[in-house]
Amino acid sequence: MISELDKKIISIISGDLQLIDQPFQRIASKVGISEQKLLGLIRSYRQDGTMRKFSAVLNHRKVGFKYNAMAVWNIPEDLAEKAGDLISASSYVSHCYLRARTEDWNYNLYAMIHGKTKIECLREAERLAVEIGFFDYKVLFSTQEFKKIGVRY
Amino acid sequence: MSQKINLKTNLMDKRILDRLQDGIPLVPNPWKEIADDLNISQKILLKRIAFLKKKGIIRRISATFNPQRLGFVSTLVAVKVSPDNIKRIVNKINRYHDVTHNYKRDSDYNVWFTIVAVNRARIDQIIEKLGEDEGVDKISELPAKKMFKINVNFKLSK
Repeated sequence: MISELDKKIISIISGDLQLIDQPFQRIASKVGISEQKLLGLIRSYRQDGTMRKFSAVLNHRKVGFKYNAMAVWNIPEDLAEKAGDLISASSYVSHCYLRARTEDWNYNLYAMIHGKTKIECLREAERLAVEIGFFDYKVLFSTQEFKKIGVRY
Repeated sequence: MSQKINLKTNLMDKRILDRLQDGIPLVPNPWKEIADDLNISQKILLKRIAFLKKKGIIRRISATFNPQRLGFVSTLVAVKVSPDNIKRIVNKINRYHDVTHNYKRDSDYNVWFTIVAVNRARIDQIIEKLGEDEGVDKISELPAKKMFKINVNFKLSK
C-alpha cells in the first residue's frame, strides 16, 4: 500500500533531481525523514516494481534520434507473447505493447522504434517483421510532437 | 534556431548522457559517484549537466514509475482529425494535464495521444468529451493488454 509519505516522495522524485551535493538530503528534510530512510524507501520502490528507473530523460531528437516510428502488427493473439519478446530484444525499440483492436484498426502489437534516419526505422521494422514472421504491419512516423511530459503524481 | 550541439565533437557529453540514462545511484551524493565513474570532477560533471539541460538535451533527471502500481490507469487514443481542425483539437487535447504524450502521425488516424489518469472514469470522460467535438471524425481507444518492454535508453558514446 502507498502511504501518504510515499505519495509525497513519489511526487517530488518524479520531478527534476537537484544538482546539489546531497539532493536526497534536501528531499528527506522536506518530507521530514532521514536521508537514509528516504534512500531506503526509494530502493524499495525499485525492488517492488513501483519505480521503473531513476535516470535522465533525454530529448531524443536532440541526441540524433530524430525519427520515432510506431510500428504496428496484426498478429494472432496467441502468438503475441513470442513476437513481443523478439521485438523487445531490439535495441531500437523503447516500448512494446499488445493492445486491443478496434473495428477499423486491425493492429494489435505495437513497437516504438527510434532511429537516426527514416530508413533506419523502416529497416528495423522490416527486420522485426521477418523475425516474427508477420508481414501485415504498418509504420507510422511521428511528424510532429505536440506534447511530451513526465507524469506528475 | 537549432539548439543541437555537435555531439560528435564532445565525447564526454555522450559518456555523461549514457551514464545518466543507466540510472542515478541511490546514495547520499549520486553526482560524486557518477563523476568518479567517468573519471571527472563533480564540478565539471554538474557544469556539463546544467549545460545539457539548458540546451534541452536532458529533459529532466527523475524517477519513472509504473502508473498501474500507483493506482493510475493509462491508455492510448487515436483520433482522425481533418487538417484544418488539427491545431484546435491538439490544443484541446494538450490542455488535459493527464495527457502525457501527443503526436501527429502519418496515417488516417493522425493524432495519437496517451493518458495517465487517476481512474477509468476520467479516461472515459476525456474520450467522450473529445468525441463530441465536431472536428473529430473518429476517436478510438487502444488500451494495452500486455506490456512487453518499456525502456528508453539511447546509447550515444559507442
